[in-house]
Amino acid sequence: MTAVLTGLRAWTVQRVSAVYVLFFFLTTLVWLAVHRPVSYAQWHAWVTSGGVRPAMMLFFAALLVHAWVGLRDVLLDYVKPLLIRAAALGALALGLAGLGGWAAQILISA
Amino acid sequence: MKFLIYRYNPETGTKPHMQAYDVTLQHGDHMLLDALMRLREQDDSLAFRKSCREGVCGSDAMNINGRNWLACITPLASLKEPVTLRPLPSFPVIRDLVVDMTRFFRHYHAIRPYVIDDEPPPERERLQTPAERSELDGLYECILCACCTGFCPSYWWNPDRYLGPAALLQAMRFIADSRDRATAERLEFLDDAYRLFRCRSIMNCTEVCPKHLNPNRAIDRIRMRMLKHEI
Repeated sequence: MTAVLTGLRAWTVQRVSAVYVLFFFLTTLVWLAVHRPVSYAQWHAWVTSGGVRPAMMLFFAALLVHAWVGLRDVLLDYVKPLLIRAAALGALALGLAGLGGWAAQILISA
Repeated sequence: MKFLIYRYNPETGTKPHMQAYDVTLQHGDHMLLDALMRLREQDDSLAFRKSCREGVCGSDAMNINGRNWLACITPLASLKEPVTLRPLPSFPVIRDLVVDMTRFFRHYHAIRPYVIDDEPPPERERLQTPAERSELDGLYECILCACCTGFCPSYWWNPDRYLGPAALLQAMRFIADSRDRATAERLEFLDDAYRLFRCRSIMNCTEVCPKHLNPNRAIDRIRMRMLKHEI
């Protein structure tokens, strides 16, 4: 992922994902302010209605890719020994993939 | 006027240290470089670079009270005492305030700082319209003093692989040049994880440019040109 998501591509992905994350976050805030769901049933109904579920999946995907590019940049800047860097990048990739899988599992089973 | 100056001479083997000086200024001493010249009358072992004395050559770039600037255009009246002088941060020190610029100029040469045009030369010069020429404004004025590069945290972290703001501003100068025919190659050269994209828009470069240029904007312009080129 480091090799394919680098330079201009990584920079573009980070900005596009940031725009989507912000858009989804603000839209969700507006929905919460208007509908004020007070029960799990209302919340569940919203998540499973229309295109909310795929939009939410896309939100988590964008958030994780955004985090990957940003944290990978931090590791490239600060972690110089190659072995430690590779281990840190691997742990980061595993952690983010785990979070992504967890989010997907919750959304699919909802 | 009181000074605190970084001293290091690898030939003597003594460790780097800060040395205090008290300089008596004379009539006509207005700039920091004047004070340094006066100081050297007291201590001729102090090493620093200078040449034009008017902010054109960029030789006397140094860290003045924590901020990179040129000694020759720094009014003494603007400085808080003791005036602390250090060499440009992140540059290897040759002696006292003199730094090794080899790596800096290696990055500069890497961006191929000349117009590339393999087409047959015209009978007279290659002309530009006034609009094409104005594209170079804010870029060609760079004097390569290294104030910006020496104050860039991204450069401190990756000095060997990140080109730094000065070289990138120069890269944009040739990308923007209507006479140049190597734009695609220049953009491809910069498209990797380190050369350009280590810039995090911290903007220290713009803050300390003694020619009041904006390397951060030049870097943004390269990114946008790259994006357009890719699309």
